[in-house]
Amino acid sequence: MMLTIIIFGLLLCGGFAWFMEGIKQNSARWIALGSFITFMVFFAFSIMNSPQSFNELQLFVRIPWISTFNIEYALALDHLSITLIILTFFLAIICVLVSWQEIQDKCGFFYFNLLASIAGIIGVFCAVDLFLFFFFWEVMLLPMTAIIAIWGHENRHFAAIKFFIFTQVSSLLMLVAIIATAYFYAQQTGALSFYYQDWLQLDIPLHLANYLMLGFFIAFAVKLPSVPVHSWLPDAHTQAPTAGSVLLAGVLLKTGAYGLIRFVIFLFPQASQDFAPIAGTLAVVSILYGAKMAFAQTDFKRLVAYSSISHMGFVMLALFAFNPIAYQGAIVTMVAHGLSSAALFSLAGMVYNRIHSRDLNDMGGFWQSAPRMGGFALAFAGAAFGLPGLANFVGEFMSLVGAYPHYPMLVILAAFGLIGSAIYGMVLFQTSFQGAPTKEIADLSMRELMISGSLLLLLLIIGLYPNLLLQYSMGAPSL
Amino acid sequence: MNIATMENATMSNLLGLNELLAIMPQLIIAFGIALSLLLIAWQRSQQMIALFTKTILVFALLLSVNLLAVETTAVTILLKVDSYSIFTFILICLSALVVTQLSSQFLKSHIEVHDEYYVLLLLVVLGAGVLVASDHYASLFLGFELLSISFVGLVGYIRESKYAVETGFKYLILSATASSIMLLGIALIYSQTGQLSFAPVTEISHLQMSSFYAVGMLLFLVGIAFKLSLVPFHFWTPDVYQGAPTPITLLMATVSKVAMFVVLMKCLFSQSYFVSENLVQLITLLAVFSMLIGNTLALKQDNIKRLLAYSSIAHMGYLLIVLLVSSQQNMAFAWQSAQFYLAAYILASLSIFTVISICEHQNKGASETDVQLSIDSFKGLFWRNRALALLTIIAVLSFAGIPLTMGFIGKFYLLSHATTGQLWWLVAALIVGSGIALSYYLRIVFVLFDRNENELSVYSYTSTEYVLINVFILSGIILGVFPDLIGQFIA
Repeated sequence: MMLTIIIFGLLLCGGFAWFMEGIKQNSARWIALGSFITFMVFFAFSIMNSPQSFNELQLFVRIPWISTFNIEYALALDHLSITLIILTFFLAIICVLVSWQEIQDKCGFFYFNLLASIAGIIGVFCAVDLFLFFFFWEVMLLPMTAIIAIWGHENRHFAAIKFFIFTQVSSLLMLVAIIATAYFYAQQTGALSFYYQDWLQLDIPLHLANYLMLGFFIAFAVKLPSVPVHSWLPDAHTQAPTAGSVLLAGVLLKTGAYGLIRFVIFLFPQASQDFAPIAGTLAVVSILYGAKMAFAQTDFKRLVAYSSISHMGFVMLALFAFNPIAYQGAIVTMVAHGLSSAALFSLAGMVYNRIHSRDLNDMGGFWQSAPRMGGFALAFAGAAFGLPGLANFVGEFMSLVGAYPHYPMLVILAAFGLIGSAIYGMVLFQTSFQGAPTKEIADLSMRELMISGSLLLLLLIIGLYPNLLLQYSMGAPSL
Repeated sequence: MNIATMENATMSNLLGLNELLAIMPQLIIAFGIALSLLLIAWQRSQQMIALFTKTILVFALLLSVNLLAVETTAVTILLKVDSYSIFTFILICLSALVVTQLSSQFLKSHIEVHDEYYVLLLLVVLGAGVLVASDHYASLFLGFELLSISFVGLVGYIRESKYAVETGFKYLILSATASSIMLLGIALIYSQTGQLSFAPVTEISHLQMSSFYAVGMLLFLVGIAFKLSLVPFHFWTPDVYQGAPTPITLLMATVSKVAMFVVLMKCLFSQSYFVSENLVQLITLLAVFSMLIGNTLALKQDNIKRLLAYSSIAHMGYLLIVLLVSSQQNMAFAWQSAQFYLAAYILASLSIFTVISICEHQNKGASETDVQLSIDSFKGLFWRNRALALLTIIAVLSFAGIPLTMGFIGKFYLLSHATTGQLWWLVAALIVGSGIALSYYLRIVFVLFDRNENELSVYSYTSTEYVLINVFILSGIILGVFPDLIGQFIA
């Protein structure tokens, strides 16, 4: 019940915010902020007071939905989804805060879209009926595309269409895989089922499982994104408004990783083991390619976007190592990257609001006029290249350590990505904040200080005390 | 079968009350046509004839809804009324109702009285009603001609329009060609089977040998493919869609397509055609080409009606998937998929054409007869008229098959059908086709959100249109989220 209230409550609040903006200007952002905080607190309380242990999936609701296909409305939670939902809520609040001044046009509709996409994302993290999962998976895209297409930068339509087509085509492949698995289930047991727990019992012959796994894998690899299906990401991230970039990098990419864990690795264990060398290679290519491309960018947001490709490569490498340490490393990396990329994109937004450019050539010497901003920029760049003490270091270190026994060669290559990230991180910081001062800019305002401060605090906490996440196995494969 | 036995069968069957009841909706339409001719002779009034037409359609609709539970009834050897034909006839009546409503708005702006228009419209519905119920090549041809000839009158109806002659001629010549080709095909089939009923008594395997039969089927299929505008028989579609009055374009996109498709499906399924390897390959090719070429050609269109013409080509291509069944058991599911997909397609078409019709009305100057809407005329619609824009978005997303809309469930049916039948080529074409389609569908959606200078100009519409818009929006979303509401009728 609780999850249903949150998902539909967010949608309703979105409608309410849209409606209220027409009556009283600037009320939508307060409603959005208020509803995110309320629902986050509500969610946290319900979880803490729940007597269940979330080491395994705990079913919350399961009612028939479309009886023709035996499709059910089924939601469940475990530690993995709880972690990601809390991350989503937190970044949603950040999104509202970064849009506070930036979005001036059609505010009501903007916050409606923001709330609707968060509702969809939460749905993705807790749906355990595959049809329902697919439903949310698509529904979260619509408001996200609208955010890019309406409030984005100069080339927004192209970026939005590209983003949508990439995800839509790949997810149709996943839909075919879902249907095929459901009908295979019907062949085995006599009745159709899209229910995740039912599918876990299935014993799918390997030749079939290979294809099915591939259908799921492609959809999630596009979302993650992994080379060679990454090319939507730089465009979408660059063209989106700040809140859109934060949401895309912070949460949307994590749905890809989540899908890999929940549906590729757990549903098709043997097929994924066989596929692992290819996936690992793709991951390493993504790591190196992303780092190399990030280094070559002159656009602040594009640079961060390519660095996302590089970081998500670590997640994929770790996941396909089938090792508990790597697995946990992947999850820490997911959370850490969510926070650090959100931080860098917010920073890009703050700079953009001051100088109306994302071009690094227009920047330089900001430290002079905005030392506090510079300090945060240095810290976030440090987080991005895995400075010990910050969360990313823990995640990437564990990923590499865990994956080493399986793919020593790949891990050695992947480690070069860390050097690459240090280079582009420093390039980013130096060209924007150091050197001869070009422009005078205002330092961080209270609101911006709150955004950067809270993100840095969380990065530090997880970096120094990773047990916060590591105490839960999150269903790590016991190999 | 010779004529004498045919007559015998007719005589003995015609008397039954059940049979009469089963074709009652069609009879009401026919009766309505006769009555409206009398009405015209008595008094020529635009309001009256429009209202009368609507009443007739509502009666036919209500009767059909009542008949849904009736079991399959053969009415003479010509017609066979089953739940499929009744369900599609309901869809046909619904679209005809909307067309009538839009037409009465549309024709208001012209000075003359347009009684003939409504008679022709009812004739189209009658033709479609005969088609969906037919079980015999003779009744098929009857319905086919009734439909085409009435359409010829309708597409060129506004004779001051500069496209009227071109459109009328194109449609006349091509549909005459199509029906003569089809007739030749039927003749060849008859020469082999010796009868005109859909389900041949002759052993199928024996027929496979005969090349005459194969050629006959091919020509028959070509005739229908013209009407369904499948690639490579699609060339007339964009011109006619663009040139015809908007309500008539809608009628063509819904009633004509649905009736043709259903009769094709009935015909093919009752002869267990899937034994024939060649025919299956032919349909696969038609489907794949229609999906890919239809969608590709739509990419560069600016005129909204032309764009929808190409997208309808692609949609008919998608729908052909259900014709490819591998066995007798799959047929029920194929019918289910076809009905749901058609319902979704019709709802989306009705929605988008309602929007087009209203926008045309708004953009029309006092003296103009031709208003051609390009995609850009929707610019900023979302900020000017939210309901209209929302309806456009739902319709377009439904065409694109995005969740929350009926179109997605329709696509889900098709994919399920294709996956269980292991039609991987078609699955691939469908995925690629949908990918291409997204880029022009999204273009329409994004234009709605564009900034526009004259954001203040308000769209005004009548209360009926207001109701229509809201009903479409609601049903689009509700049926998209709870497809069981329709599923229970077609299961």
